[in-house]
Amino acid sequence: MSELLEVKHLSVSFDTLQGEVEAVRDVSFSLRAGEILAVVGESGCGKSVMCKSLMKLLPGNAKIKAGSICVNGVDITSYKEKEMQKLRGKLFSMVFQDPMTSLNPTMTIGAQIAEAVLIHQPKMPPVEVKRRVLELMELVGIEQAEERANLYPWNFSGGMRQRSVLAIALASDPDILIADEPTTSLDVTIQAQILDLLREIQKKLGTATILVSHDLGVVARCADRVAVMYAGKIIETGKTEEVYYDPKHPYTWGLLRSLPALSRGKNRLYTLPGMPPSLIHPPKGDAFACRNAYALAIDYEEEPPMFRVTDSHYAATWLLDERAADVREQISEAMRSSDTEAALPCLLQKAQTGSVETGQFAGDMTGKKTESNGNSETGPKAEILLDVQHLSHVFPLTKKHVIRAVDDVSFQIRRGEILGLVGESGSGKSTVARCIMNICQPYSGKILYRGINVCDRGQFRQNRKMLQTDRQLIFQDSGSSLNQRMKVEEIILEPLKVGHIKPMHGSYRDEALFQMKAVGLEEQCLNRYPSELSGGQRQRVAIARALITEPGLLVADEPIASLDVSIQAQIVNLFRHLQEEHGFSFLFIAHDLAMVEFLCDRVGVMYHGRLVELAPCRELYENPLHPYTKELLAAIPVPDPLRERARKATQFGKDAYMGGGKMEEVLPGHYVEISQ
Amino acid sequence: MSTGEFQVVGIRPARQQPEELKKKWYQGKPVVSIVILALIAAGCIGSRFVMTKDPAYMDLLHYNLAPNAEFLFGTDTMGRDIFSMIWYGGKISLLIGLLSAAISTVIAVLFGAVSGIAPQWLDTLLMRVTEILLSIPNLLLVILLQAILGKANVLTISLVIGVTGWTSIAKVVRTEVRQIRNSEYVIASRCMGGGFFHILWKHLTPNFVSSIMFMVVMNVRSAIVSESTLSFMGIGLPLEVISWGSMLSLSEKALLGGAWWMILIPGVFLVVTLLCMTNIGNFLRKSVNQKQSNL
Amino acid sequence: MKKNKVQYIGKKVLIFVISVFLLSLITFYISRLAPGDPLVSYYGDRVEKMSPQERERAEERLGLHEPVSVQYVKWLKQAVRGDFGISYKYKKDVLEVIGGRVGNTLVLGGIGFVLIFVLALLLGVLCAWYEDSRLDRVICKVGTVLSCIPEFWLSLLLLLIFAVELRWLPGSGAYTVGKSDDILDRIWHLILPVSIVVLNHLWYYAYMIRNKLLEEVRADYVLLARSKGADKKRILFRYCLRNIIPSYLSIMAISVPHVLGGTYIIETVFSYPGIGTLSYESARYKDYNLLMVLCILSGIVVILCNMVAQAVNEQIDPRIRATEIMQETEETKR
Repeated sequence: MSELLEVKHLSVSFDTLQGEVEAVRDVSFSLRAGEILAVVGESGCGKSVMCKSLMKLLPGNAKIKAGSICVNGVDITSYKEKEMQKLRGKLFSMVFQDPMTSLNPTMTIGAQIAEAVLIHQPKMPPVEVKRRVLELMELVGIEQAEERANLYPWNFSGGMRQRSVLAIALASDPDILIADEPTTSLDVTIQAQILDLLREIQKKLGTATILVSHDLGVVARCADRVAVMYAGKIIETGKTEEVYYDPKHPYTWGLLRSLPALSRGKNRLYTLPGMPPSLIHPPKGDAFACRNAYALAIDYEEEPPMFRVTDSHYAATWLLDERAADVREQISEAMRSSDTEAALPCLLQKAQTGSVETGQFAGDMTGKKTESNGNSETGPKAEILLDVQHLSHVFPLTKKHVIRAVDDVSFQIRRGEILGLVGESGSGKSTVARCIMNICQPYSGKILYRGINVCDRGQFRQNRKMLQTDRQLIFQDSGSSLNQRMKVEEIILEPLKVGHIKPMHGSYRDEALFQMKAVGLEEQCLNRYPSELSGGQRQRVAIARALITEPGLLVADEPIASLDVSIQAQIVNLFRHLQEEHGFSFLFIAHDLAMVEFLCDRVGVMYHGRLVELAPCRELYENPLHPYTKELLAAIPVPDPLRERARKATQFGKDAYMGGGKMEEVLPGHYVEISQ
Repeated sequence: MSTGEFQVVGIRPARQQPEELKKKWYQGKPVVSIVILALIAAGCIGSRFVMTKDPAYMDLLHYNLAPNAEFLFGTDTMGRDIFSMIWYGGKISLLIGLLSAAISTVIAVLFGAVSGIAPQWLDTLLMRVTEILLSIPNLLLVILLQAILGKANVLTISLVIGVTGWTSIAKVVRTEVRQIRNSEYVIASRCMGGGFFHILWKHLTPNFVSSIMFMVVMNVRSAIVSESTLSFMGIGLPLEVISWGSMLSLSEKALLGGAWWMILIPGVFLVVTLLCMTNIGNFLRKSVNQKQSNL
Repeated sequence: MKKNKVQYIGKKVLIFVISVFLLSLITFYISRLAPGDPLVSYYGDRVEKMSPQERERAEERLGLHEPVSVQYVKWLKQAVRGDFGISYKYKKDVLEVIGGRVGNTLVLGGIGFVLIFVLALLLGVLCAWYEDSRLDRVICKVGTVLSCIPEFWLSLLLLLIFAVELRWLPGSGAYTVGKSDDILDRIWHLILPVSIVVLNHLWYYAYMIRNKLLEEVRADYVLLARSKGADKKRILFRYCLRNIIPSYLSIMAISVPHVLGGTYIIETVFSYPGIGTLSYESARYKDYNLLMVLCILSGIVVILCNMVAQAVNEQIDPRIRATEIMQETEETKR
């Protein structure tokens, strides 16, 4: 097959005030007609920049320093803006990460798609254009296209917007579709749908696709080939099966291992330590060495070349050098013999793929998660710390319409228990958290904390100080939950200063240092501002702030939603470790089921403001009863290409869901909503 | 090559590259404006040492003189030395600018903060009141107030300008307060039991000080403009009280006589001062957005 | 939908009436509490020679002996009928005095406003198109300097150059005496004042357009449009400019009084017979009745403009409606 796109030794750098950022360094790859190439790596590894540089959509301070981009054998590297305009949309087009901002807010969806059609066929008659717009909208799965074409983007949900963006991208039948993290900002169930759609379109139209993601699990389902990027370089590339079943680069091992689906049934998630390096002065040698437990001495000195594994599989690691054969042997030996704790993804055997149905998949995991239910303290006998009874909350939308954000939700949390609350955006889980924390007053229902009704103003006032120090909250976006103008030290100490509490470990400063150490922050961070920290570090600061008062209850509202998968795993492990150490009760809110398993004793699933299922963690994963829970489970991406491809996303009939059912205890401790 | 290079050594701490800033500390800062403004301000504050004559002394022998060796900037129609008047009057102009900006900032912060923290109905009411106050043309309001306060002096004129010029800052403060009030870090602080004053001092103040700095500098600027305009029109400071504005109020006579120095020199000082302030103000505002263009 | 429209308009009218009422109340009280003897402006120096009885009679004639609240009610009753009292200085009906001048101000302000509106748009787009180029930088620098010059001094400067030194253009008045019907002569007299109005305000708005455009250009949707293959012209005009036009319109509506206020000063420098010189005179001669009506009239213009601006925002920009709903839910959430 001929190469549709061929990139050779591409280097892109940015000129910033801090210095030159080498975002893409010597990247070479090719794309054949009709295939899907996935580009994977943590954020800050230059994936997005690489995509934009293909279409020359880079900002003014970026420049292509070296290399060439050939499309159909034509070198377009030196093309000027005018020439590129002719190619964009027609030869290649792009889908961006955030559908909320990538559509023009003042134009109707139909007009925006029509524009994309007209740009390359300006003489098309209006009737024809309209027909084409509707055709495109149907192609991307927008129903009632005729009506919806006249709506504005803000009338659409995130998934629908992303479909519209896709329709725009496909308007002129491009040869190459570049999708830059197209599903990252969407709900898991929607994410699965969009990925299916991408694959379907690729099959139907034969469009070659570059799919960028930070999650190896996500792309397993549709990629033909995978390229793993780290610190601006492609460090491993190969057919999907080769990369997933026989990864060669330690970074790929790490990425695969940190996926929750692979650790299923284990107590701890594997995590990649640290974070990607700054690209202003990329480290000498292998950029990954300082996070790599298997780093060789030479990794710190010399950059590894691309080693050939098979004709299609290449990896840049010194481990593949013939001089490292002994070491290679040792490592694989160690992997085979080591316990589950250190299990490696190479052990993801093809044999496992025999069972393709998700239901059975959950069944595979013979119960390994043992300790939580047997634990005497958190068992059914432990004291009930938080009791939420028939909680409801409504928001007035207009004078007549109200949104039932939370609808008759009841659950309890015992001392030392971790309860997970899962649901898509808008399912009311955050509102529950806010009601518990007295940020908003519930419409009806009761919340008892240690027997105190916190919704009752009088009772709240009497116990204010205890309630305020004993319950702590962690927000989703640590960027906005930390005051940008306070230093980390001040932020962490704020609860103590506010509550006039004496520090337990010496001076205030010592206390701050102690807490920082506990959450794994370096000492230097003490005098920094939040904007100088990475997302994961900021979330650690928020955790330190919450734990400094030794709370009895910690409520975390989607604390990991805005982080990379590898960082998510770090934070989840941290939570688990801290909970074991401090023994607080924990309400953990998340929008998918992937990570919850490693943390929670019990899990509740919310849908449209209602709690539809509540069960002990293992029970829920092994025996999901509510159709929505099943859908959520099915949507967890598994880094196993064969199984993923065979699977179909189960679609839960959302329109059919009426609500108003009753919670019933089906099995001991397993509640599910039965609709009448 | 020794085989030692191919031994597993595991994770070593990353070598920290020293972060060197490519730009110098002064780059992007309005250094020239700051220096000029500082010079003018220093000259005005230390006017006693700069002045060559008594600015109020009317030398009836030498009136309407063009700039020469003795009277560096010439003399006005009343025979006063313009060079000395510039420094002496600048002190008063700058003082009025600062004073009235201070007055309006205080009012604006109080009003805006109350409006931002208040419940919805009070906020709407307060904003309507500002709108109505805004709807009276500033100039007319100043004239009215001036009439009430009687004969103008430095204090009354600052008061008048300050009292009429706070509405735009108040609006900014209000939006800012609303935004910060609803931000997650304030909610978090409230959950911890942070009291009103704690939140005000630790969260609100530092965040909006930076966002209103630009407005405050611009307010000093527009106060100086107002003062000079009023004095020029003869409804501000009287002729005997020397300021840049009152110096210019003689310009009608100067126009007839073609005495350009009486118009140009005080005006140039005024404009240069305003320009420096604008540059500093713009710098305070600009440093927010540094994203690169998508086009 | 139709009912909503009626409700909407009704609400606006109500707000307008209440605002005007409050405005008149405030200005009335201020003007009555102001020191200075209104009799002086009516009778001139004769007041000093008046006996107390004569004074009382004179006050009674002008209705000045009653408490302020009673005076206000009386004034309001007459005002509703269109009778705003008399100007003490001109000894004529206030409206008549104003009517003779208002046209001149509208011509000066109107022409200036339209020019500012158009030129600012052009200049702003030009700067945004050539962002960070030499042209953009030069325009920005010159604009900043111009916007820093107080209008009265700019007037003086131009007068000095064009009227005094070069003698090209007339330096005062709206027309040459005796030629009040000659349109060319009027235009001749307008050139300097109008150019000052324009020069003074232009950059403020052009710079605003430039910044707003640059902000829009940084939005994510621009990238998508580019990846469609849209060119710079299309993106800048059909996307960015279109998206900022509603807010530009509303800002321009709000700034009508701002521009008019500027003409007041220019009018006095040029002794141009308009509202500006009138209010200046009425303030100097303590003709509070006239000044008050001028205040109220200007205030009404401002209120009207604000309402227009709001309506523009609400009607043209579909985003506002969406964000309002979102804001409401956000606020109730907290």
